[in-house]
Amino acid sequence: MKTISDPTLLSEVRRYGRFDVDACYNCGSCAAVCDLAEDSALFPRKCMRYVQMGLREPLLRSLDPWLCYYCGDCAQTCPRQTEPGESMMTLRRWLTAQYDWTGISSRLYTSVAWQLGALAAAAALVAGLLQALVFHWDAPLTHVALNTFAPARAVHTFDLTVATLLTALLGTYVLRMFWLTVYRGGTAQVPLASFIEEAQILVLHGATQKQFLECAEPGRWFESRWIKHFLLVSGYAIMFALVVVFLEWFQTDTVHPFWHPQRLLGYYAAAVLVVFLSEALWGRIMKKEQMHKFTDLSDWAFPVLLWLTAVTGIIVHVSRIGGFPQATYAAYAVHLVVAITMLITVYPFGKWSHVVYRPLAMYFHAVKKNALRRQPQPVG
Amino acid sequence: MRDPMNSSHDHGKRVGAALVVGGGIGGMQASLDFAAAGIKVYLAESGPCIGGVMSQLDKTFPTNDCAMCTMAPRLVEISRHKDIEIIPLADLAGIEGKAGDFTVTVRRRPRFVNDECTACGDCLKACPLGKLKPSDDPKKPQPIPDEYNMGLSFRPAIYIPYAQAVPNRAVVDPERCLYMKTGKCKLCVKACQAGAIDLDQKEAAVTLSVGAVVVAPGYKLIDPKVKPDYGYGTYKNVITALEFERLLSASGPHLGKVMRPSDKAEPKRIAFIQCVGSRDNERDYCSAVCCMYATKEALLAKEHLSPDLRCDIYFMDLRAFSKGFEEYYNRAKSHGVRYIRCRVPKLSEDPNTRNVRLKFVAEDETKREAEYDLVVLSAGLKPNPSSTALKEPLGLEFDQHGFCAAKPFSPVDSGREGIFVAGVFTEPKDIPETVIQASGSVARAMELLAPAKGELLAKKEYPPETDVRGAEPKVGVFICHCGTNIASVVAVKGVVAYAQSLPNVAHAENVLYACANDSQEKIKKTVMEKGLNRVIVAACTPRTHEPLFRNTIREAGLNPYLFEMANIRDQCSWVHMGEPALATRKAKDLVRMALAKARLLEPLQKKRVPIQKGVVVIGGGLAGMTASLTLGRQGFTVHLVERDPELGGMMRRSRYLLGGADPQKHLSDVIAAVKAEKNIAIHLSVKLEAVEGCVGNFKTRLSADGRPSAEIDHGAIIVATGAREHKPDEYLYGRNPSVLTQLELEERLSHDGLGKAKTVVMIQCVGSRDEKRPNCGRVCCASAVKNALKIKELSPETGVYVLFRDVRTYGFKEAFYTEARRKGVVFVRYDETRKPTVAEEGGRILVTVWEPISRAEVVLPADLVALSTPTVPHPENKDLAQMLKVPLDPNGFFLEAHMKLRPVDFATEGVFLCGAAHFPKTPDETIAQSLGAAARAATVLAKDAMELSANISHVINDGCDGCAYCVEPCPYKAVTLLEYMREGAIKKMVEVNESLCKGCGVCQATCPKKGIVVRGFRLEQIAAMVEAALTPAPLEPAPAPEPTEEEAKT
Repeated sequence: MKTISDPTLLSEVRRYGRFDVDACYNCGSCAAVCDLAEDSALFPRKCMRYVQMGLREPLLRSLDPWLCYYCGDCAQTCPRQTEPGESMMTLRRWLTAQYDWTGISSRLYTSVAWQLGALAAAAALVAGLLQALVFHWDAPLTHVALNTFAPARAVHTFDLTVATLLTALLGTYVLRMFWLTVYRGGTAQVPLASFIEEAQILVLHGATQKQFLECAEPGRWFESRWIKHFLLVSGYAIMFALVVVFLEWFQTDTVHPFWHPQRLLGYYAAAVLVVFLSEALWGRIMKKEQMHKFTDLSDWAFPVLLWLTAVTGIIVHVSRIGGFPQATYAAYAVHLVVAITMLITVYPFGKWSHVVYRPLAMYFHAVKKNALRRQPQPVG
Repeated sequence: MRDPMNSSHDHGKRVGAALVVGGGIGGMQASLDFAAAGIKVYLAESGPCIGGVMSQLDKTFPTNDCAMCTMAPRLVEISRHKDIEIIPLADLAGIEGKAGDFTVTVRRRPRFVNDECTACGDCLKACPLGKLKPSDDPKKPQPIPDEYNMGLSFRPAIYIPYAQAVPNRAVVDPERCLYMKTGKCKLCVKACQAGAIDLDQKEAAVTLSVGAVVVAPGYKLIDPKVKPDYGYGTYKNVITALEFERLLSASGPHLGKVMRPSDKAEPKRIAFIQCVGSRDNERDYCSAVCCMYATKEALLAKEHLSPDLRCDIYFMDLRAFSKGFEEYYNRAKSHGVRYIRCRVPKLSEDPNTRNVRLKFVAEDETKREAEYDLVVLSAGLKPNPSSTALKEPLGLEFDQHGFCAAKPFSPVDSGREGIFVAGVFTEPKDIPETVIQASGSVARAMELLAPAKGELLAKKEYPPETDVRGAEPKVGVFICHCGTNIASVVAVKGVVAYAQSLPNVAHAENVLYACANDSQEKIKKTVMEKGLNRVIVAACTPRTHEPLFRNTIREAGLNPYLFEMANIRDQCSWVHMGEPALATRKAKDLVRMALAKARLLEPLQKKRVPIQKGVVVIGGGLAGMTASLTLGRQGFTVHLVERDPELGGMMRRSRYLLGGADPQKHLSDVIAAVKAEKNIAIHLSVKLEAVEGCVGNFKTRLSADGRPSAEIDHGAIIVATGAREHKPDEYLYGRNPSVLTQLELEERLSHDGLGKAKTVVMIQCVGSRDEKRPNCGRVCCASAVKNALKIKELSPETGVYVLFRDVRTYGFKEAFYTEARRKGVVFVRYDETRKPTVAEEGGRILVTVWEPISRAEVVLPADLVALSTPTVPHPENKDLAQMLKVPLDPNGFFLEAHMKLRPVDFATEGVFLCGAAHFPKTPDETIAQSLGAAARAATVLAKDAMELSANISHVINDGCDGCAYCVEPCPYKAVTLLEYMREGAIKKMVEVNESLCKGCGVCQATCPKKGIVVRGFRLEQIAAMVEAALTPAPLEPAPAPEPTEEEAKT
């Protein structure tokens, strides 16, 4: 099949971040050194070439950027110092914007004004809605009555509504991703059996992100990027479950004893979130690791908002235990505004979505390979 | 700075001596050319002997000629040359004065061995450090790595660098010598019978007075440790290409047996990794030789080990850009050498087997792993570290890598007047380019020193010739091992014993390298001691080595023609490699045949004929004008012959160059200088009608408008006829006005600009690198990059795509390739089996190309298409070649005498070659080669008279009856029929022009009456050889040679 070269693709991609192919002479070192690259996914070279050649269609169909975990080996090996790993990062942003048919992601990724404006607008909207529907500033000031200030059921309903709406939207993006990469972009007809056979991949990788471990890294496993990321995800998942599913159990005015599961789970989640997010942010500030050498504004939004959410949550908790009703209410208001603003801006439109796209890409990739294996082998 | 376009007009003092810095092949060439031009030479070398890296090479690409065999005669010639003084272990300390009259101070590090040394080797055996073995215990003293073998073997603290080393004398390593360190030992001093060792020698300063300096300090390989991912130094079976070269060499650590370092096992799988240390961001240049040396080493490894040996070359762009290279590359592929287009990111070692593993992306875009027994790193070239010490005293400018990069249009000028540069010192390059630049430096220097030539030359004194007439032949036979070239196949000692059994053989022995200095001395000594009157050397070919041995016996007081050579290498050991027993028998046969002739040899004398001082330069382009100008300035009369009505040639069409130099400015400067030079006569709009005669005495007739216009007597010819642009008939060329050649694009860009073109697509290798024209166009990749950069300069947003097969931007052109990519030029590789297509659709041009990485058929809508077509030879070359009796290569370019060491000479003496007539090249390369050709021509013109070969035809008065059968067949038109009156009757007889005769023997073969013979190849001599070949029985004692006609008369 012939593809007409689209010379605007490179400049378009570059609006999503760094994409240095200028010095590249396509030597192949990057794909050869990468421990994750394989015959059916020869990144980063192939994707970089798509962009250089203006091949929009193959790029849209490619799952490769999601399969890269950015260990930085390619950048260290590149004789021309072109930073291929960072280019893959840029392509993930570009792909996120392509899956998002509303065009919002694209606006957010390519414009600082849009990003800051969207944050401010979302925060204002959330604050207004919460003020109108949830907060009761007349709650007693003699003792901490959080469930009077913001009744758990009301917060829960609000949370769930927002989450359901956004998830539905993200669902359409996932469908679009499926359509682009598997339905339209497959090299073979994919039978249902392939989807079923490979389903475990989705669960396994979604739960463990174990692909990180395949990225060659020096050092011992407990120093690896995987364990840090895994613990962070575990904290995030616990907290997400507590506030979205079990909020009425989690948000009580009664102070349980220390060893009560409600408190222990909360402490664990808060601790790993604060510790590993702080470490990640510090890393970005110090640019210690290869993957942190270049940071886009969009890279900051998710960790910073999550960190703020965790920290304000801790302040709420401390104020509540300490018996400071005003501080508790104020902190909780901020906490909710930050958390839901984060949910709105980064969940379907931004960095958060990788939580969904990465395991899905692994899954789709496995499904496509599975389908190829089922094809009759050409004779001769 | 001295402007290369203007000769210096001041008449200051000119010293008839020159200093050459660097004793590699470049410095050697410069020394020989200087000396031949009449200049006394000081050859300063930082090491203990000359020879450079070439002496370490096994063979050379693309002919697989043995490196040592081609350079050994030059080593010997220099070592014996009365006007070349070698100063080894030299450091340049300072230079004062000005061009024409420099005073140079050279510090000479002590050798600790004086001239009494005979290189017998006794001291080497005595040195206790020579007995050390490598040990894992760090406390034990480690043996000394042998530099010549790249550390693959060990040497004592007193050593001879290599077998053919010049000067062939031992040298003490003061860093390791026990006496220097502890004050005790001196075992070598005791062992030396000649008393040549003086361990208390001190450094000495030498002051030299010279008129010019040529700097050619050469190069070293980049240390692969700059790429730690390859594990060089840690993984035992990862070695450099030069180490592998030593493994291949018969004089190497295992005498040519290829073993891998870890376990001395024979490798079955070898990988070559290209561009180690070059073509990256730190060193953004291409080393220009590695693709070809890896190809050569792979071919040789297969030859040494097995045709089934797996040789994989990992490369990015295969840069086979010079004459014969593409054909060599194709040959390697057909021999099963695999080329894998991927830069290998890293190597790993299997700790048990010590095998080396790597990962790569194959051309079908699959990811593979491979394991090898041995990995050879094709390390790039960097300037010799010793050259940094030259910066201060010579006041030169170096670039960030330490190269002394030359300015545009002055490839051999250093930037300082009177100091010239050659070789890798200025940019990575191969042997012929280095040799060309070395000769070119001499040409530039001779512009300055011509008034002083001959002033400081020594007179060569030979002992009087022994009269051998009538004496019983006493033949000495010397049988050469040629390292293992001969000895690995032929049982040399058996041949010696056989020779001793033959009649008239007074002496027979075997020698390791007959051409080496020590062997030469041995031959001389034996001739004198045993009173030999004939000498046979059974070795390689007389083509390269006969002059050397003839000179040797002359120095021993024998007439040089009392020498015979048996070629037991090319005609025996090489061609019968698999049959040692039969080869040995054939070697004996060859020796017996040589003896049969040797017994009939007679002394011959060379005639001397005066030399015409003029030179004819054919072609008025950049090459011809450059050569003319330098020769004119050296005081020679030049006739510059051009068929067009104006000077300038192909360069008239060149508008701009990579790097921004202005070709038209240079061209008009050169034309003006040529017109102003009083020694140059310009003949425009003329045709070359005939060239007769031979070296020293040519006669050339020119015609204009069909009428004879000039007749020129001259001593030398330079062929500089250039070439032309190939006009393609594919890709819509000639049918669509937007499809141009690269040169037409250049003209359009400089006249009309880019117009509205938003996308330009260039297609490389149009009409080259295919079956019809296998050679690479050499300059087309750089031209495409040049035009792409021009387009980006005119309009940065215009898209430029270059469809290429390999990007061959060798040397410093690599940086321009990088610059083009940085400016957004997209380079797309295509395969020769899947060429791009160009089609017209709706008024637009659509170029379709299969892009191998994305594995997609990509359509590029183009406004302009530029086709990179090669520079191709003129079809008229054939006629000119016939007229000059010089050969063409299969592609139609003129063929030089030797691809490596005689790149501007023809096999026909007195005829020289430069510019695109030789092969496509850049202006700077053309200038260097034209200067080189001029320097070589000057070596002919510098002499007042020339010695003719003695092996030429001779008419025997009584035998010749003037039948004239021989006149017509003579290919050199050397025979004419004479009619004269004698005793009242008309007599007929032929006469031989001795200057024209080449001694080919056609006349002798046609003569029915023994009336004309070739001296040294008389029928009786040949008949004796044939008889000896047919009767493999011991020869009966032969009678003394019959007196010749002349002798009978006297």
